[in-house]
Amino acid sequence: MSNENSAMPVVRRSLRLLSGLAMLGITATVASPSALAAYEVITVTNGGTIDGVVTLTGAKPAGVPITVTKNQDYCGATIANPDYVVDASGGLADVLVYLKDIPKGKAAPTEPVLLDNQHCMFVPRVTGAMVGQMIKVSTADPVLHNTHLQDAATNATIFNVAMPFKGFTVTKPLPGNPEMINIKCDAHEWMHAWIKELDHPYYATTDASGHFTLKDVPPGNYTLVAWHETAGEKSAPVVVAAGKATKSAIMLAAK
Amino acid sequence: MLVRLAQLAPVAACILLTVSIAEADTGDARNGKLVYERNCLACHGAQGDGHGEAAEYMSTKPRDYRQGTFKWRSTPSGSLPLDSDLEHTLINGLHGTYMPPWRSLGETSRQDVIAYIKTFAPRFATEKPQDPIVIPPDPGYSAESVARGAAVYDKYNCSQCHGAGGKGDGPSATGLKDDWGNDIVPYDLTKGHVKCGDKSTDIYRVFMAGLSGTPMPTFADSLSTTDAWDLVHFIQSLSPLYAKVTVSGGLATGGQP
Repeated sequence: MSNENSAMPVVRRSLRLLSGLAMLGITATVASPSALAAYEVITVTNGGTIDGVVTLTGAKPAGVPITVTKNQDYCGATIANPDYVVDASGGLADVLVYLKDIPKGKAAPTEPVLLDNQHCMFVPRVTGAMVGQMIKVSTADPVLHNTHLQDAATNATIFNVAMPFKGFTVTKPLPGNPEMINIKCDAHEWMHAWIKELDHPYYATTDASGHFTLKDVPPGNYTLVAWHETAGEKSAPVVVAAGKATKSAIMLAAK
Repeated sequence: MLVRLAQLAPVAACILLTVSIAEADTGDARNGKLVYERNCLACHGAQGDGHGEAAEYMSTKPRDYRQGTFKWRSTPSGSLPLDSDLEHTLINGLHGTYMPPWRSLGETSRQDVIAYIKTFAPRFATEKPQDPIVIPPDPGYSAESVARGAAVYDKYNCSQCHGAGGKGDGPSATGLKDDWGNDIVPYDLTKGHVKCGDKSTDIYRVFMAGLSGTPMPTFADSLSTTDAWDLVHFIQSLSPLYAKVTVSGGLATGGQP
């Protein structure tokens, strides 16, 4: 009797250990997505605005135009060099600007992020997307494009969808990792675009004059990150006051 | 007490074993490593990166396993393959490449080496393959279907890469790269054997699932199943293995091989 009594707890302990291991396993698989889902949606009533401009410093490289090697009849013989799109005052377009590590704020966008194939170039060239947001790819071109997304870190193909004729659109999920995604069109090898998934909706792309706006930011101290395909990345601290517009100026050096 | 413990030990072991089997792959990766080192390493490399010693002499490069990106899949574009997809490639090889059929390995070794190959891509541990694409039954090769397929080929701009005559010489045929930066050319559809299999369902799968890692995209979002089958039949008509279709319609000689 005493033997049985002392043996049973061993089994029970083993079972408890097993269920404990199983729970650990479940926690481990859920851990990475839940870390992304840490962002909390709140009603932002006293939010501030970040009004900023990204400027290119240093001499802008000459920028040889792209020589079009395919479908010249439609795409043209050359396309303006997209490496640095700068206006007269040095404002740099196509810079992705986003807040780093913002724990709570406004709700996620309800519409998919847009990517258009426009005259043998992707528009926009770079954009943010919130984890869980879909991507809607469209084409205005009467030639075959393919929109080929790859994880920038691993090079793994996310999807590669044919855009066979003018007017075709397709909406697909993004992988849901807060990483950079490289986008290319294999059929027109000069076509490139970038999407960075973020776990919050505070991102913007600079316009033709280098300006960007982030609205409804809960008051606080943040780090602003600017990413450009050629000039690279730069961070700057920013203080957002309730109901006020904060000016921010970021300089990226030409490479 | 010791006796009792000894009796209970197998019970606990069985529970542990059941748990580990339920979570494990069907193949044994430890044995798969031995199979891999004996048969696959010379081309695919010790790290599974496709940089084996023989790789540099090959025009079609051995698969780099680390991204979990595979051409021959039953699953949608970008998805991991099913184990049965990898086994399909092992059994049949890839026509026109250095990858031979590995029927001689036998079922167990194939399952084991698949389990080992999957350890090179961390994705296999965290992601599940998506459901395979649905391939409806082939309605049958006919002159009418081939003619409709020619119009589909035109409308969907297949000629952009594969050329107006299917010889792989379209405007975008030059300068194509695979995901690893290697030069890659569109398939010459007039050559006959298709790399990923000769069955009509193999051809259907190629353009509906796409060939991940290559410029070949998925047309599943834009092409109806009816149009897709017509396109399969048109592609078959370009092959010397299939009966030619005359301009006026009707099969010139014979039927489907």
